[in-house]
Amino acid sequence: MIVSFFDQFASPVFLGIPLIAIAIALPWMLYPTPSSRWVNNRLITTQEWLINRFTNQLMLPLNMGGHKWALLLTSLMIFLITTNMLGLLPYTFTPTTQLSLNLGFAVPLWLATVIIGMRNQPTVALGHLLPEGTPIMLIPVLIVIETISLFMRPLALGVRLTANLTAGHLLIQLIATAVFVLLPMMPVVAILTAALLFMLTLLEVAVAMIQAYVFVLLLSLYLQENV
Amino acid sequence: MLSRLVLVSGHILKNSGSFGACLVQASRSFHQSSQSRAPVPPLPEKGGKVRHGIFPEELFTLLYPKTGVTGPYMLGTGLLLYMLSKEIYVINHETFAAASIGVVIIYGVKKFGPSVAAFSGIVSADKFDVAQEVKDQAMASLAQGIEDEKKEQWRVEGRCMLFDAKRNNVAMLLETNYRERLHMVTNEVKKRLDYQVELQNLHRRMEQEHMVNWVEQSVIKSITPQQVQGIWSLH
Repeated sequence: MIVSFFDQFASPVFLGIPLIAIAIALPWMLYPTPSSRWVNNRLITTQEWLINRFTNQLMLPLNMGGHKWALLLTSLMIFLITTNMLGLLPYTFTPTTQLSLNLGFAVPLWLATVIIGMRNQPTVALGHLLPEGTPIMLIPVLIVIETISLFMRPLALGVRLTANLTAGHLLIQLIATAVFVLLPMMPVVAILTAALLFMLTLLEVAVAMIQAYVFVLLLSLYLQENV
Repeated sequence: MLSRLVLVSGHILKNSGSFGACLVQASRSFHQSSQSRAPVPPLPEKGGKVRHGIFPEELFTLLYPKTGVTGPYMLGTGLLLYMLSKEIYVINHETFAAASIGVVIIYGVKKFGPSVAAFSGIVSADKFDVAQEVKDQAMASLAQGIEDEKKEQWRVEGRCMLFDAKRNNVAMLLETNYRERLHMVTNEVKKRLDYQVELQNLHRRMEQEHMVNWVEQSVIKSITPQQVQGIWSLH
């Protein structure tokens, strides 16, 4: 059996039980449910405040039709942030490194925005294929380009998240391996590499949060165009 | 009307012992037991006490009677060394990754923990402040209402004085008016009487003058020539 760096991305199965179900359900288990009290404890107060602020910010550019998506987008954001951040812990499996999961989020949601746009306001939705102020000669070319770009969107959404997280995890593994291997031979180099690892970890924390935010933000933008 | 029938029959059935036991369940109304109306227990002020961020204090109190203060630490060290020496836990690249993320997490919690906790306190305090303001405003408006009512009552007391003053005013006006008219009447009467007095004086004066003239005339007429001679011879 050849051990490779990509084994960490294999979907974990234990005695035939797919553990990815537990991995996906973990964020739900970690957050307390707000009770019906008027004033809650610190954890629920902070959580409520954060979720309210985030939903407020996300729904600012959307009109009333877009507000129906508030629950979906906020819970998607919380799920993505939690899974990404939990994946930075050692010996954990990150579900969002799986392209299947990310495309499973991106394609249906993107398709929903497109269908909503085509159904409710087909002229406006098709009008987005031609940006304002294009020279007349370029119009046919631009429509083709914009259509291709439209169909690229779900792929881009899914692959962006997958690639960022996979690359990050892989880098952490590689540099940690370098530190581990160099420590007995060249400790000073190992310490420098450990400093690099520390900075990379900081970057990965940032990337985890930003990628989740970008995913949800882009979906809200696509929604804004079509609703 | 039918509900009253159900309640009455339920009550009777409840009292009728074992026969009514199964029928009571069917006629019992929901959500009226004392449990669902019981007061909600208060939230604890802070979470459970922990030492070093993860180990609950109860572990230390559990081990204290048998192993003293250093007991749990010996347990932890021994466990760690056992797992390392027996290679149950193998040190590999993940260890360094774990150390790295561990430093980030501990730094983050130590630096931002108290401020986040204080912030949640501020959010709750704002909620309390809003409610307290509503209550204070209600109390202030009620107190203002009491003050206004007391003022109105004081005004009512003063109403009698106001009426007395008005009554006095009116009486004074009437009095003044009466005296003016009396004065006028007196003047008019005096004028008439003065006129009559003057008239009588005039009469008397005219009579006097006339009398004097007549006496003079008669004296002059009665002066005889021999009287005139007599007066001249005296000189």
